[in-house]
Amino acid sequence: MADGKLEGLFVMGQNPAVGAPNAKLERMALRNLKWLVVRDYVETETATFWRDSPEVASGELNPDDIATEIFFFPAASHVEKAGTFTNTQRLLQFRQKAIEPPGDARSDLEFMVQLGRRMKARASDRPRDAGLRALTWNYHDDDAEEVLREIQGWHNDERGTMKDEQAGGGAHRSSFIAHRLVKDFSELKNDGSTTCGCWIYSGVFDGENKANKREPRGRYGHGWGFAWPLDRRILYNRCSAAPDGKPWSDRKKLVWWDDAKGEWTGDDVPDLTGENPPGSKDDAPFIMHADGVGWIWVASGLKDGPLPTHYEPLESNIANTLYPRQAKNPAADRKERPDNPYAKSPDNRFPYVLTTYRLTEHHTAGGMSRTLSHLAELQPELFAEISPELAGEVEVTNGEWITISTARGSIQARALVTSRVPSLDLDGRRVHHVGLPYHWGYRGLVRGDIVNDLIAISEEPNVRIMETKGLSCNIRKSDVTRHPEPRRRRRISVETLRFAQGDEVLRWR
Amino acid sequence: MAVTGFFTDSTLCIGCKACEVACKEWNEVPDDGFRWSGLSYDNTLALGHATWRHVKFVEHEASIGAGGNAPDLMTWQFSSDVCKHCENAGCLEACPTGSIVRTEFGSVYVQPDICNGCGYCVVTCPFGVIDRRDDDGRAFKCTFCYDRQKAGLEPACAKACPTGSILFGNLDELERAADRRIAQLHAAGMRDATIYNPKNSSVGGTHAFFLVRGDPKNYNLPPDPVVPTTLLRPAWNAAAIGAAAMVVGSLLAFALGGRK
Repeated sequence: MADGKLEGLFVMGQNPAVGAPNAKLERMALRNLKWLVVRDYVETETATFWRDSPEVASGELNPDDIATEIFFFPAASHVEKAGTFTNTQRLLQFRQKAIEPPGDARSDLEFMVQLGRRMKARASDRPRDAGLRALTWNYHDDDAEEVLREIQGWHNDERGTMKDEQAGGGAHRSSFIAHRLVKDFSELKNDGSTTCGCWIYSGVFDGENKANKREPRGRYGHGWGFAWPLDRRILYNRCSAAPDGKPWSDRKKLVWWDDAKGEWTGDDVPDLTGENPPGSKDDAPFIMHADGVGWIWVASGLKDGPLPTHYEPLESNIANTLYPRQAKNPAADRKERPDNPYAKSPDNRFPYVLTTYRLTEHHTAGGMSRTLSHLAELQPELFAEISPELAGEVEVTNGEWITISTARGSIQARALVTSRVPSLDLDGRRVHHVGLPYHWGYRGLVRGDIVNDLIAISEEPNVRIMETKGLSCNIRKSDVTRHPEPRRRRRISVETLRFAQGDEVLRWR
Repeated sequence: MAVTGFFTDSTLCIGCKACEVACKEWNEVPDDGFRWSGLSYDNTLALGHATWRHVKFVEHEASIGAGGNAPDLMTWQFSSDVCKHCENAGCLEACPTGSIVRTEFGSVYVQPDICNGCGYCVVTCPFGVIDRRDDDGRAFKCTFCYDRQKAGLEPACAKACPTGSILFGNLDELERAADRRIAQLHAAGMRDATIYNPKNSSVGGTHAFFLVRGDPKNYNLPPDPVVPTTLLRPAWNAAAIGAAAMVVGSLLAFALGGRK
């Protein structure tokens, strides 16, 4: 995007102008787009970068020079649309629409369905549109359950039963219940006779939408939502039983071998079936691994394997005791370039360790929390947590403004001096820490500098997440504070500041 | 109707402030201003007209057994504060309009349509809970979610608390639960755990009581809260003695003073 290779961008429920690493680079790159679509339920920093970003204030960006066409679509919030939440514990929970979205706000689903329809209608005869012409796009306007059924999968050549239709809740869903749903992923075949969006969700419609059930039973809550795969609440539950198939602990038992029936049974959906009796060749608990055993030595898959090890962060003033000659992960992608630079290791300019994190009171890039008075008032300003020792070293006291800088840029924050932040003795020197929560931006009820301006765009080799927990930084007392003392705003109502254009247009209850 | 109460167990509080937000959301309490305090993660600072639940952030010297911290690291303890709903409530006794009443749940409730904003309750609360709203004049504090209780629901803060730190229930049952919890904590080695419920002071016990570690003063809980109206009897006695002395003095002046 920064190099002008990207023509357009859809931003849905994200706020890269605040939340992405090297956020300044992101903001500067947005101006190279021909068009930008932002869908959110408040007008985010990403939607207004051209007008009120710090680069506009500093003169680096001139709104007159930005040709990007920006479309802001008001979006329905999670209570204003149906859909599913999937937790990291693998639990799918379907939720109903509680209230209608206000004004022109629409669900992301409806937007995508409409967008697909319009794109299909404009598909040309050119070869490059062949995929678009062949695309089946017969969704109803805003029916999340219909999409979940498609993800769950069906038999292409068999008609659905009335039970499916009733479970779906109406005859209008004919296009999607024309097919008999697969029971679970074991019915999926690679011969074109079945269709499935994602195999792990197969089984969520087993006669009814199990993700929508709220009738928990048993100690593992079966009947409340659906845990992929197959409503299995604990993965690798075979491990809860000894090799002979008896539970290790009666108190914590999960599954066990039933000799009489000749199959695995228990309080959870067992990993293994009757074909894998205890002691057999296929009695291997780690069913997602080819060899069925747990791995410390990871033969394949891990890009920086095969053994877990320790590398120093990409910026570090500390030597790697484990590997003196290879301090950093050689497989990490640094994406180093003039607008994404790194400090040297070690680097005298940046003697302290920077860590960024979140606060309970705010939600990631802040679009959902900085606009709500009840949350914004609880953490109203960006602060940097430093130890009393470091505060003494740079001669600042609690509450004073400090400037924090990395190789990428610098921001200002209030100093929160606390003994909770320890200083460490490492490598024969005293290592100080600077802690920064990253929720603030240039919009909303409470504002502050953007901490992600300090972070480099980097990729850890396996999950490709940027490094935010260990960077090299410097701090000093601010000479000039760009930030005026926060004025006491008029009280605002309990209503969200939806679609507010700025402080002036607060909606009153 | 059973007397209900809050038992706030600070050892279970994680400082999430969900109680503060749930209280404001349910009761439509306005914001408190957007000022950063620089005092730990506490930007609310105190209970007031627009804060009916307040999570205190107590940064302590290191103490063994606190949350598994290394011995040289300080501890960070949280405690959700609220109106104590005193057995002898200073605010209720001082209220000249009858706006402040004792409800059927034993709680102390300010009727906003009767309050005339005199502010007598503000100075008589021994915990500094009740507070007048500047732009409105009337006094506000925790309602103990009277509306929710009437409908058979627990108060919003207790409902929102994710760890069970704020327990709501019948007061006598809560007191027994607190005794059990203290015994459990003491048995587990947390010997500084203690119940704060000033039954021997002039407030005569509170319907919202707390489990804290160490000295309750660290949590801004006064060791001997005084309801000012308990001073009325000695005050009137002193006044009566003074008046009697003046009368006697006057009579003596007549009796003993000779005509000049």
